[in-house]
Amino acid sequence: MLLEIFFVFMKIGALAFGGAYASIAVVEKQVVEVAKWMSYSEFSNLIAIDELTPGPIIINSATFIGMRMGGIPGAIIATLGAITPPIIITALLLFLYRKYREIKIVSEILFALKCMALAMVISTFISIGVATIFTGSGAMISNTDYLLLMMSLASFFILRKYKINPLYIMLVCGVINLAIKTLL
Amino acid sequence: MNKAQKLWLLFKTTFISSTTANSGYAILSVMKNLFVEKYKWFNEDEMNDYIGLAQSAPGPMAVNGAVIIGYQINGIFGSIVAVMGIVIPPIIIMILVTVFYQYIVSNEYVRLFMEGMEAGVCALLLDVIIGLFVNVTKDKSIYPYILIIISFIYIKFTHFSIFYLALACVVAGVVKSLLTTRKVRK
Repeated sequence: MLLEIFFVFMKIGALAFGGAYASIAVVEKQVVEVAKWMSYSEFSNLIAIDELTPGPIIINSATFIGMRMGGIPGAIIATLGAITPPIIITALLLFLYRKYREIKIVSEILFALKCMALAMVISTFISIGVATIFTGSGAMISNTDYLLLMMSLASFFILRKYKINPLYIMLVCGVINLAIKTLL
Repeated sequence: MNKAQKLWLLFKTTFISSTTANSGYAILSVMKNLFVEKYKWFNEDEMNDYIGLAQSAPGPMAVNGAVIIGYQINGIFGSIVAVMGIVIPPIIIMILVTVFYQYIVSNEYVRLFMEGMEAGVCALLLDVIIGLFVNVTKDKSIYPYILIIISFIYIKFTHFSIFYLALACVVAGVVKSLLTTRKVRK
């Protein structure tokens, strides 16, 4: 089990291109779809927790999932797995950088990987969006949560227009959802 | 400043910034402030190159940045110290969070609060999509669109490992860079 945790997170670490939020997609793909260790809604909770706690998202997710799968050793193994490939690749890039300073080939490879990362985020966005907006299973008009749908759209426009820290937006969404659904 | 003091400062900086900051940019700008502006261990251009390298490698930018900055300050030992400073705080915090997670989410009020936060998560992912899209398509070529569409179909509709897709992207990058350099030579 520990070995499996290590390898799953190694794969996540090696594939996590395109920044912190894009790497959410890699974690989702490997942990929810391939390994089936969590459901989509648990995973959305995890992202919310990641935002509430300091530290890199990949490490937070690795510790959280590792801890649930195999206790404290699992948490440590998952985190080690997630950071091993990035450390090796960074060391390699640093070596190339110290030797050649500029490398065209690396930037072209990164560009292609960034396109892949974008496709992954789109895929994750669809899965998580469906899990969030529709209560229960399947996407139908009858089980649409309009409050969450409106809040998502509003948050998106605010985020795009004013570039505020997403954490504040999420906190406000949480408070609104709690207030409206407990009062009504 | 002797070696041990340098390493201690490195550890202290990474540890404290990782305990307080949420984003890799924030952590690296704390290091930039201290090591470039205060101690002048490297200059601004070098530091920007390091940030670029840290962004290029996969995985958390803060960890990658720590590997590079640690190495430039004190070799491999510096890297190890800096990475430990970045990694230890989130591990401890998340272990505690996981322990209390079940108690926390079984509360109805907390559940509703978290459910609301998920709306923000969706908005955030959409914002990331737009940001990445603008970033990769700024050259007005059809090449990124082809890559994105093929990758999306591969990810959404097949069950093969992402690893092969990443490998194909590496090949695409190599081929593209060879083609463009040949054009320049002509």
